[in-house]
Amino acid sequence: MPSVQKQFKRHLDSLVKVFDFIGQFVTRENIDDDAAGVVCLAVEELFTNMIKYEGANSNDISLELRVDGEVIIVQLVDHDVEPFDMTKRPDPDLGASLKDRKPGGLGIFLTQKLVDDVRYQYLDRTSIITLKKNFRRKYV
Amino acid sequence: MFDIKLSESGEVVLSGRFDAAQVEKAKAVLDRLTVTTSVDFKDLIYVSSAGLGVLMATQKRLSEKGQKLKLKNVTGHIRDIFRIARFDLIFEIE
Repeated sequence: MPSVQKQFKRHLDSLVKVFDFIGQFVTRENIDDDAAGVVCLAVEELFTNMIKYEGANSNDISLELRVDGEVIIVQLVDHDVEPFDMTKRPDPDLGASLKDRKPGGLGIFLTQKLVDDVRYQYLDRTSIITLKKNFRRKYV
Repeated sequence: MFDIKLSESGEVVLSGRFDAAQVEKAKAVLDRLTVTTSVDFKDLIYVSSAGLGVLMATQKRLSEKGQKLKLKNVTGHIRDIFRIARFDLIFEIE
């Protein structure tokens, strides 16, 4: 099962390196552009949430990408943090008028809509988020 | 690489990847808008919720003065994201 794993500094400047890391993996595994775009968006939303809610934490954030058949499995691991179960967050009110629309919660909502599976675990002060996205091979 | 430009005709042109690290760059242009303005997405290949948030904040500010952003050339997966986020309810998308 092909896999790669890397640690990233908890900073917005890391996003360029995160996208490069994902880009190299999806190219090597011939993952279609739509699925690759969803993986980039999901990882950005979760990574930036980890920056937002644990900004004082100096630990790096771990990102692992795996392929199992035609499923890409993404795992983000954040050590020594408070629990933040994204799967239990209420959906934003998308039917609200412009005046009442709030930007908060949109990233998590998009992630949950675009991926095929999302799981949250909290063990020994460590948050583990696992996403699955089905994909097609770009070419055989 | 993300870029945002105000064309001579007064249209905002986006290109590249609009992620969370590009928010300040986008705000530097969008915060200067005071009248109804078209935003061209033709060369934008990626947008996350951070980018959507900046667009929404600009739309809110302009709407208080009876003005708005009009979005054009929103295609592919960016259109899908706009649909899921129900941006069709708060933006005119050409």
